[in-house]
Amino acid sequence: MARPMAAKGQGESQVHDEPQLVDRVRRGDREAFAILVERYGDQAFAVAYGFLQHAQDSEDLVQDAFIRALERVDSLGEGSAFGPWFYRLLVNAALNRRKYLARRRTEDVPVSSAASESPAADAERAELRRRLARALGSLPGELETVVILHDLEGFTHPEIAGMLDIPEGTCRSHLSKARRLLRDVLQDYQHRS
Amino acid sequence: MSVPQDDGRIPELEALRAPPRSDADRHRMREGILTGAELLLARRRRTDSSWEVLAAWARPGLLAASIALAILAGAIQPWRGRPEEVSQPVALEDVLGGAGEPDGIPAMLVALNEPDADAVMAAALVERNGNGGDLPSPVEQR
Repeated sequence: MARPMAAKGQGESQVHDEPQLVDRVRRGDREAFAILVERYGDQAFAVAYGFLQHAQDSEDLVQDAFIRALERVDSLGEGSAFGPWFYRLLVNAALNRRKYLARRRTEDVPVSSAASESPAADAERAELRRRLARALGSLPGELETVVILHDLEGFTHPEIAGMLDIPEGTCRSHLSKARRLLRDVLQDYQHRS
Repeated sequence: MSVPQDDGRIPELEALRAPPRSDADRHRMREGILTGAELLLARRRRTDSSWEVLAAWARPGLLAASIALAILAGAIQPWRGRPEEVSQPVALEDVLGGAGEPDGIPAMLVALNEPDADAVMAAALVERNGNGGDLPSPVEQR
């Protein structure tokens, strides 16, 4: 079993109080639930965004995931950390949500990061993002999840293995495979452009 | 076949990273989650407090119930009395046990239960036939 994970910027000591927080949430303690939302909300949004590439969809997904977590919190084992369990729930929800989206929407590149480029460069970047997002989405679910969690969100292999309940070696091989597939897509794109 | 490990990140993937969010956005999302959760949390509080009420009632309730049961049992006991004894027919051998001995007391006289009619009749016949027929026959009596 992987060590309990902390959301980015959270210390281990804060993770150790999670069984107590979860217990309080089971009893309907709003403050304890708010602490978990505060602790995992931003990271959850980033993970959701990695899958959905849309801010509003990602917010909705995070909200649904927290509500679902609250509904199912009794199924979380006594003394278990909230993080891995919650992220597993979030990732499954993200994969399911995407099935219902007829077409992947990509947001416009934020103005702050695009201001220095020409409109042509902006368009090119947007096109690259669309292709990347499409390529990511075309990967088998677990490969995509591993590459998003590892390369985009910076989770470690043991953490991802704990979240997805897979061996660490499988996690590493998924990442290698996913990267190779993505590189192929990118090379193809660069050749064309 | 083992997959060769690939340690190189793909820099282009950075383009898919979530854009920075303002504090207002983060606050809005957090409030949205908490508002959405309010009903569920309230339901959990209610369930929890119901259990607390039940638990609070359980101990004195059980005690009171035990006392009530004990009183009830005590009240019922005199009415019920001793468990009814089912009279068993006295065996002929028992009836005749003391009859043949000079100082023997016929079991019929000392038996706790009334002897059944067959045993009495049998004893009477034995007495008459075996001991000189002192007892009058029902016909003679008439």
